[in-house]
Amino acid sequence: MMENLGTILAVLGAVIAAVLSGLGSTRGVGMVGQAAAGVITEDPSKFGKVLILVIMPGTQGLYGFLTAFLQLVQLNIIGSGFEPVSLTKGLMYFGACMPIAVVGYFSAVAQAKAATAGVGIVAKKPAESGKALTFAAMVETYAVLALLISILAMFSITGLNI
Amino acid sequence: MAKLQMKRIEILALLESSKEILDLLQVKGIVELNERVECDFFTNLNTHSSAGLFQKHLEQAKAAYDILSQYAVGKGSLFASLEGRREITVTDYLQKSESKEMDEYLQQSIKINLLDKSIKEDQIELAQIKTQKEKILPWLALDIEAQTKSTAQSKVFVGHLPQAYRKEELEENLTVLLDDESFFHLDIIDTEKDRTYITLISHDCCAQDVDKGLKLLGFSPVPDELRGIPAEQLKALEDKTRALESGIESKTNQIKELVVCLENLEFLIDYFSLRIEKYENLEKLSIGNNVFFINGYVAEKYADSLAKELKSKFSALVTVTQPDEDEDVPVLLSNKPFAAGVEGITEMYSLPGKDDYDPNPVMAFFYYALFGIMLSDAGYGLLMVLAMLFAKLKFKLEGNMKKTVDMFLYCGLSTVVWGALFGSWFGDIIQVVASEFFGKEIPSLAIWFEPVDDPMKMLLYSFLFGIMHLFLGLGIRFYTLWKNNQKLDAVLDVVPVYLLVTGIAPIGAGVVISTIPDSISSLGKKMALIGALLIVLTSGRSAKNIIGKLGGGLYALYNAGAGYMGDILSYSRLLALGLSTGVVASVVNLLGTMPQNKVLKAIMMVAVFIFGQTVNLAINLIGAYVHTNRLFFVEFFSKFYEGGGRAFTPLKMNTNYLKIKEEK
Repeated sequence: MMENLGTILAVLGAVIAAVLSGLGSTRGVGMVGQAAAGVITEDPSKFGKVLILVIMPGTQGLYGFLTAFLQLVQLNIIGSGFEPVSLTKGLMYFGACMPIAVVGYFSAVAQAKAATAGVGIVAKKPAESGKALTFAAMVETYAVLALLISILAMFSITGLNI
Repeated sequence: MAKLQMKRIEILALLESSKEILDLLQVKGIVELNERVECDFFTNLNTHSSAGLFQKHLEQAKAAYDILSQYAVGKGSLFASLEGRREITVTDYLQKSESKEMDEYLQQSIKINLLDKSIKEDQIELAQIKTQKEKILPWLALDIEAQTKSTAQSKVFVGHLPQAYRKEELEENLTVLLDDESFFHLDIIDTEKDRTYITLISHDCCAQDVDKGLKLLGFSPVPDELRGIPAEQLKALEDKTRALESGIESKTNQIKELVVCLENLEFLIDYFSLRIEKYENLEKLSIGNNVFFINGYVAEKYADSLAKELKSKFSALVTVTQPDEDEDVPVLLSNKPFAAGVEGITEMYSLPGKDDYDPNPVMAFFYYALFGIMLSDAGYGLLMVLAMLFAKLKFKLEGNMKKTVDMFLYCGLSTVVWGALFGSWFGDIIQVVASEFFGKEIPSLAIWFEPVDDPMKMLLYSFLFGIMHLFLGLGIRFYTLWKNNQKLDAVLDVVPVYLLVTGIAPIGAGVVISTIPDSISSLGKKMALIGALLIVLTSGRSAKNIIGKLGGGLYALYNAGAGYMGDILSYSRLLALGLSTGVVASVVNLLGTMPQNKVLKAIMMVAVFIFGQTVNLAINLIGAYVHTNRLFFVEFFSKFYEGGGRAFTPLKMNTNYLKIKEEK
């Protein structure tokens, strides 16, 4: 148990990244989906336009999944040649997962709010749907930054000799 | 090629040729007519009543078309909408629109609407009959007329009690409530869980007493709409149902027979749409006693030939002039397919304003390139290219649909190139198949490098592409200002930023890679310093006093520093989205290899591959599209683009189903 504690922490971090950002995306996609369904009852031809908005808060879940997967590969849990990592390294891996876990959750929910408002734009002024997309995409920037720092930290930690 | 130069065209012609001239303009579709200017000498034409009549016919035809398309096979599907419009020449169109057939078409549309209306009425009646039948069902065993109230010597009570009773039980309950001398005859017609349907007969002498007793038990008389003997009434209703049903069927068949008229209705809809548009534009004519006057905008390249044609065909005075500086001239873009592909993206943001150049020719290359880096899988790119080529060969694409298909075609090509550079073909499917089934290890297929192996390198390249993209935007700003004779502004707005960003870039890169030569970073420091100084000294040049100038300069430096850093960091999404495509695609492939048995593994791989890669492609396609748009809207356009142009909306043959071609 003790010798594996580092690995356990690292896996825990990966799991939290996947779970939290997945939860955020679930909530987000659900929220926008409800608003979109309202528009479709009035005008089914707008399906394509609102669908893009519905999917947008879904990417955070993907980022969390991506981080978790890459972490499991780094730990050689997926693949072969497993060796336990030190407690220090495990804690670092755990920390590396936190940006996408936390930012992923909150940015998915915030993006869903922007996208839900965007559904309103599509309903009233379909020609302006590109702008609705842009507002929602602005929120995503921070999820992208969190993903990047998580992945870069993770790759860098693997190279450390501690 | 870019934004077409617009000319103002003014036509003064004889009133008698007004309709013909408008017809000609509509067929040509190259002139946008201006609203009439109020003026004492001219009146205008009121076309509301005729346009209103056409509108009524149009709505009728559209309603008929919707009804018919429910019965027509293959209409209204996605593919049908791609199939394009039927071609017809102007002469044929005019001949047909003046022939007697038009009346026939109109009659057809009226007939279809009437049939549909009567079917709907029948259906409502059927629903009413159904509820009536449900009310009768419990009374079926009643063999007298339901509304019988009395005979010569007795009173008859037909109705129900709110509880289930057996006959003896009910008789007993009632007897207790009545006077001793009261008597009655009870029949139970039907019992339900909480209801008893009864008929009860009593002699006139004790009827009042019985009535009171029944009321105490909660008796309610049979509803008024039940008349006659229930079984007979039910039969009548069933006969009526059958009659209505066969009526609906025959009417539906009549509509189905009219499905062949669908093309006639299409013609009718387009015909009325065109007439309405023309009549609305007739109101823009200024009308005198014998002449009329109209003005509008036309692209320079068509102006002279149009003027010549008008002069030769009609007795008309046509002048073509340069619009004034402050006129609200509409914008018409004209680009080669490569650049026209991204016109839709620019339009989504805003059309170029008065001082803007058409950004499409310069942005197209970067749009496709950035899209490709984000999708970054050669397999997905190949699928896109194939799908778009298929669409181009199979369907007659026009207008925006054609531009969109072109855009995704070029995006697909770029994705293939980047995918090949990064060695991603449906993730790592080639390596996986080779090692799992043939025991061969294939090294990376990357022509350049795999981002997942060296994300840091890819991140720096993302920033580099970002800087190039931003510099291109700034370059356009320089060009625009220079051409506008604001040469000083052009130099001072753009050059210091070039120096600052170019200077800081190697220093920033030096934080993560240590191989940057000292000479370059010290040169960079100097460039950045000069750039920063220039910004501080010159950006406040519009302020009046020295403090304002300095303050404005410092603020501009802060803005440039924070702004450009944020902008450049934003290009990290090139790496993030690229990684997410490639890694998820590889995960899908990995999932497929889980079974040990080779046959099972092959089946599993095919299934997981098709499902997983489709989902991944869909998600990342949307991601790449949205984020490329964002990089253009937020980072790129903010550097030079004003926007706010008004789209050119000429009077033209605006049709849905027919493509009316001018003969050569």
